[in-house]
Amino acid sequence: MTAPLSDGAIASLHAGDIVYLSGPIFTARDGVYRHMLVEGNEPPLDLAALTNVTIQSSPAGAEVSPGEYRISSLQATAGFRYARYMPALLERFGVKMVIGKAGMSEEVYRDVFMPNGAVCLSTMGYGLGAIYGKSVKRVIDVHWPEELGISEALWLIEMDRFGPLLVEGDIHGDSYFSRANEEINDGLAELYEGLSSPVFRRLGEEERPEIELF
Amino acid sequence: MVTSAHRIGLDAVSRAAYEANRLAAVVLPGEATNAFRDALERESKPMAQYVLGQILENADLAVAENRPMCGDTGLPRFYVKVGNEAAIEGGFVGFERECRRAVADITQDLQMRANRVHPLTRQNPGNNVGVFAPSIDYSFEPDADWVELTAVHKGGLFGSDYRMLFPADGIDGIKRFLLDTLSSSARRGLSCPPVVVGVGLGGTKDQAVRFSKEAACLRVIGDSHPDPDVAKLEDELMELANRTGFGVMGVGGDTTALDVNVEIAYTHTGGIPVAVSQFCLAYRRATARIHADGAIEYREDPRWFTPYYRREGIE
Ligand code: SF4
Repeated sequence: MTAPLSDGAIASLHAGDIVYLSGPIFTARDGVYRHMLVEGNEPPLDLAALTNVTIQSSPAGAEVSPGEYRISSLQATAGFRYARYMPALLERFGVKMVIGKAGMSEEVYRDVFMPNGAVCLSTMGYGLGAIYGKSVKRVIDVHWPEELGISEALWLIEMDRFGPLLVEGDIHGDSYFSRANEEINDGLAELYEGLSSPVFRRLGEEERPEIELF
Repeated sequence: MVTSAHRIGLDAVSRAAYEANRLAAVVLPGEATNAFRDALERESKPMAQYVLGQILENADLAVAENRPMCGDTGLPRFYVKVGNEAAIEGGFVGFERECRRAVADITQDLQMRANRVHPLTRQNPGNNVGVFAPSIDYSFEPDADWVELTAVHKGGLFGSDYRMLFPADGIDGIKRFLLDTLSSSARRGLSCPPVVVGVGLGGTKDQAVRFSKEAACLRVIGDSHPDPDVAKLEDELMELANRTGFGVMGVGGDTTALDVNVEIAYTHTGGIPVAVSQFCLAYRRATARIHADGAIEYREDPRWFTPYYRREGIE
């Protein structure tokens, strides 16, 4: 697939598909979300005009000479903790594909992603950093390195066959991890059989191992 | 009396610390490669097979192109074993300076991720060096004049936990705690399984946590604790971990743990402090032995848990 993605391309994706992506994408996680979405700083370029794909990642990269950046390795971070930023990201910046790690909850897909025609993908492995790093064709630019630090900055990068990426939450209402979890949970209860609860409990303790903790 | 001719030079420390960190970031140790290959051979689920295959390809590519194997390059740290007869030019203050500088240098040269930030302001020095970072832990070894350093780049925001259990909870309590920890971290692969699980059992709370991390990061996959009761528990926990079925990436699979290592410390008669740490599939560590004459040997096995380190009684 090539970014920016058409609505048709997004609709063609189904949970469980494995895809490769080329074209420009931008990184955003804690720093960028706070700076851009909460504190309202406008990005120094028209992001939506350039791409509709983002990755929740801070790359392994450095400034190798003044103004010249190189990425050696790349991996997304666990995306569930950014659920609260998704409405603003998708609605205001026209993002149609969020690449994270391990997906988000089905509620977020239903309430935020699907109404915006957006999909959630996951990097794989995890930790295929060298493979993903090699697919970085070039670093187009790095924005807000002083404000956010080099790792949390907004990196604009051009990818060449970036993958494998797992389609996690599609716009048809299917989630790959939700299905995998159902299967795993079937066997989990049996392992707990006969193992009694700790004699001294903890406040706020959740006793059912089959639930998601986010 | 150790003469100055036998002092380890700081240039050797510098080279060893730099190269051990490069090896850790880039080269998956052979024991892990073998464990992933075995896991792939055993695996029954197609998606898990595919992902394990990709992990092995990634390991090859990292070495071929000198790239960090994961984009999250972890938190570089050092475990240092000091021979009882060893002496260092500039002393251990000089040694630690070289270790800190090596982390900054390799961060820039390999374009590792600048992961270390101030916990409140999030200010990033850009080189993985800061307050108490990298951490440097020491142990000692009798009848040796070398110094060894093991660079560990452990990743992961998920999968470590501690709990005070009681003798009434017994081994079942430990098993349940492991299941709880895996259920909350291997689901969706948050802790990046297949992992090497380290269990710290006994001691005090801080010791349990510390030994769980050392057990995860500094043992060798497939080895056993010399205490047969502990070794038996390792086997049982390993079987349990893999019966959870989370598998690589949490997609469902036969291998969630490549190994489970338990370390024990004598503890309060009323309690069983237990801690779990998980070394993710980016199983990153490398050891350098610096001899008194300045020669450096690199190897994969940290040889951290020596009989002296685990000693008991009064000598
Ligand atoms: S926990 Fe996962 S993402 Fe983090 S360093 Fe390990 S393999 Fe990479």
